[in-house]
Amino acid sequence: MHFLFKTFLFLLFLSLGGGPEPVQAADYSKMTLPILKYRGGNFNPRPQGVRSLLAEIARRTSIEVNREPVVLELTHPDLYQYPFLYMAGDAAFDPFSEEERKILRHYLSFGGFLLIDDNSSRPDSPFDASVRKMMEALFPKIPLQVLSRDHSIYRSFYLINRVAGRVVNHPYLEGINIKGRTVLVYSTNDLGGAWSRNKLGHWTYDIIAGGEAQRQRAIRLGVNIVMYALTLDYKKDMVHLPIILERLRRYHSQ
Amino acid sequence: MTLLKQIFGPELAEYNEWQLRWAVDHLTGVLAVMGILIPIALWFFWSSLSRIRHRAKKFSMFGLRVLAFGFLLFLMLQPELEFQKSRTLQNSIAVLLDDSKSLAIKTFPEEVRRIDLVRKTLDVNRDFFKKLSEDFNLEYFLVSDRIEPLDPAESDTRYQPRGLNTDFTRVFSDLQKQFEGKSLQGVLLFSDGADLTQERDDLSRDLLDRLTRFQGPLHTFQAGTNESFRDLAIETLEVADFGFVHQPLRLRVKVRASAIGNKNVPLVLKEGERVLVSRILELREDRPTYEVDLQFTPNFLGKQIYTISLPVFAGESITSNNRKDFQVKIIRDRIRVLHLNGRPSWDSRFLREVLVKNPKVDLLSFFILRTLGDDVAASTSQLSLIPFPSNLLFSDYLNSFDLVIFQNFQYAPFIEAKYLGNIRTFVQRGGAFAMVGGELSFQGGGYDRTAIEEILPVRLARQRPLYLKDEYRPTLSRKLVHHPMLRLEKESGANRKAWNSLPPLNGLNVGLNPKSESQVLATYEKKGPSTSYPVLVAGEYGEGRALVFATDSSWNWNFRRIGAGGSGRYYQRFWNNAIAWLTKDPETRPLQLETDKERYDQGDEVLIKFKVLDENYNPSIGRKVRLTLQAPSGERRTVTMESEADGNGSYQFVPEQEGFYRIRAQVEGPRKPMVEETSFGVLSETAEFRKPRVNEFLLQKFAEVTGGTYTVLEETTDLSGHEFENPEVFLQAKSKTIPLWNNWWSYGCIVAVLFFDWWMRRKSGLS
Repeated sequence: MHFLFKTFLFLLFLSLGGGPEPVQAADYSKMTLPILKYRGGNFNPRPQGVRSLLAEIARRTSIEVNREPVVLELTHPDLYQYPFLYMAGDAAFDPFSEEERKILRHYLSFGGFLLIDDNSSRPDSPFDASVRKMMEALFPKIPLQVLSRDHSIYRSFYLINRVAGRVVNHPYLEGINIKGRTVLVYSTNDLGGAWSRNKLGHWTYDIIAGGEAQRQRAIRLGVNIVMYALTLDYKKDMVHLPIILERLRRYHSQ
Repeated sequence: MTLLKQIFGPELAEYNEWQLRWAVDHLTGVLAVMGILIPIALWFFWSSLSRIRHRAKKFSMFGLRVLAFGFLLFLMLQPELEFQKSRTLQNSIAVLLDDSKSLAIKTFPEEVRRIDLVRKTLDVNRDFFKKLSEDFNLEYFLVSDRIEPLDPAESDTRYQPRGLNTDFTRVFSDLQKQFEGKSLQGVLLFSDGADLTQERDDLSRDLLDRLTRFQGPLHTFQAGTNESFRDLAIETLEVADFGFVHQPLRLRVKVRASAIGNKNVPLVLKEGERVLVSRILELREDRPTYEVDLQFTPNFLGKQIYTISLPVFAGESITSNNRKDFQVKIIRDRIRVLHLNGRPSWDSRFLREVLVKNPKVDLLSFFILRTLGDDVAASTSQLSLIPFPSNLLFSDYLNSFDLVIFQNFQYAPFIEAKYLGNIRTFVQRGGAFAMVGGELSFQGGGYDRTAIEEILPVRLARQRPLYLKDEYRPTLSRKLVHHPMLRLEKESGANRKAWNSLPPLNGLNVGLNPKSESQVLATYEKKGPSTSYPVLVAGEYGEGRALVFATDSSWNWNFRRIGAGGSGRYYQRFWNNAIAWLTKDPETRPLQLETDKERYDQGDEVLIKFKVLDENYNPSIGRKVRLTLQAPSGERRTVTMESEADGNGSYQFVPEQEGFYRIRAQVEGPRKPMVEETSFGVLSETAEFRKPRVNEFLLQKFAEVTGGTYTVLEETTDLSGHEFENPEVFLQAKSKTIPLWNNWWSYGCIVAVLFFDWWMRRKSGLS
């Protein structure tokens, strides 16, 4: 255990000096976070949100990211080059066509992931109504469900015990599970608003009620969602459980 | 008889006896009924004759009626004449010689085998048997759980303790069938009475029933005694036919000790000369049996031969039961895969999904979620990260894995360089290693000039760039198109089509120069200045296998193909093929060797089958295969065969020894010989030694029930006092039946009598 502890400290605090020469990453291997473009409403109300989250991911994790914004429609031929989609909005949008629903259902069922973010900052917003209507049409037999507290999303990188965005309309995430995998996550708390920084590095939107700690929680949640999409339930492997459960116990008792 | 021959013709000349038989069913019943009815009818008839004064006429009419009834009775009794030809039978005596294995047991202190006591008795009493054979039909049989006729002249060679089991119920049943229709006047049984189907102090109902059917006495001669019987035996061994590698295997041993005394003895389980586990047994004089549970963990795959043994003490009657060899087929329960990912990516995510979904795979994944340069902006307690247990993984537990995958993984600083040497040793000893491409693989991961480069089927060049971002379709090697890793479909046309249906890859690790003995399965043929880059390269290192897949975009074959209207089926199949090949799934071996059975009885013919594929996995015809057969005694012999159509071949032989044979097939390959090994067992049932003690109760009971005598054999036992009855017995050889009633004469007589009776009555004025 002594050596393990030393290794851990080594991982945490030492730099990579003396290692092999790093290779410039190729673009295709970087994590890209395309914004889903749809008809009606406002598909990109937080233009700096995704770029800012990707910057945080790059800074905090080993994931290599592509910060250049990519905007995609469901019918785009390159859709299946991006297994992660980000759908944002703050207003009601037009219902997806039958073809779009079919594409999205296929995309999600066979490996894709969709994060929906309500940026309206209001509970029961028109966007929220449009999303729920769209969900009912998309997976009529699989309802949106609140993700349980032991879901891998809450421990894929950070240990998260409070769900927040720029606002806290609902202290939880909702999602849809298919064959043991969460393929869609829905946040009503304006995650994009909490993530957004302008080009000077200043936060674009103020946090409502929670202060900077709440913003950090939103960023951590964003990191965890991306990490979950890339590693799935890896953190529930037996080898990880004892340590994570012990930390959770201490964390909750704080 | 002469008169009858004259009446019924010359065809009866061959018969020497005759008798009258009544063919009617229920003879007594018919006689009783007719005995009542006929007198009553005659009384009524006599009364009806009262009007006739003439006495002679009256008595004549009554006589006619009596005659009519007589004929009627004659018809009803259906008389037949049976002519028989019979001859005198010679009475038989059966001599039963127990030839079960327990007859090989020595009796102490003389150290004479039980069978030798019997042989000596037969020899000393030659005159007795000669005299017996003059008076009787003397027949000899070898008995154990069957009877087998024996010519006494062959007894020296054929009378050996070979019988696998003793079962007197079956022996007596077979004997009685054998003497059906013959006159068996007595039986001489030479045996130790060690019937495995009977209790030591009881006789089963079936056996008792068989004994009561003997006409003559059964004289029993006990070979050997239990005096000074000393034995320490592994009586039974319960173990599964197969076990799982790295999983505990349990066995239960039952030990029997007879007159061994109070001793502590070791029970040892060995694999070859290596002791796997041992246990001290505390033997006590008053306790005959001991049950011991043992457990060990097999570490090698394949058919493994183990030996469990007890020490041999001086004066033991049986020494062969102190040791027992057994074979267990050790298989993988699941393929244990250690999957290390340098960073979360779509390639690692989709590969992990394939590994998780493969029911044969037991997966342990690690993702490096942060590097030392990352700023997580949180304390350790707020992170779910765990320290990377490199010491445990690459020192203590490495050998418990079957396959290690480095996917876009840079070893420093997570694994100390010294552990790379452990991975090399792991592969050298039969483990599997795969490196999947990405920026952190190969030179990017710092593997050049390390132990890992030795394992890999490519050499890592120090060059720039190390990575190409091109999009390309890999070109499959034509000569390796039958390689099991490339088999997406069984039929070659469909397989080619399947590969063509896969989306292109993008990104490639370059600067990888295939080693001379490697197999380049797929390349990127870059247009323009003709350059060929290896994409998929397979190779062997020591006993293990290694794979290079120089891209981190194989997930394109899954998700992008789904987007193009296909499925991820071929992606999953490719990786499952790769895992099977890397872990040497039997179907992926270029030399395959097997026997038609795992275990054979002594005398069975063994069929050894082999299949040879060339280095490119195409059937190899006309290849010389050296088969080395190692007998249990260690003696070896070698035969050279040639592979025939489809690379198949076979060899048959009858093994001469008991125990486990090892077979080694060797084919000279272009680089190194291909070797495959298997084993099979030739088993001789040792059940006879489970109850090796003489069963005097049984032999005494046999004699008692049948009126015979019981004798304990000594070297000079005289049998001359044993006598048998020799009555004259006839055997009916042939017979013929002639019915006396079913003919026109009989019917004519009765009709004539009735007519005359009717005529007389009419003449006398009666109705």
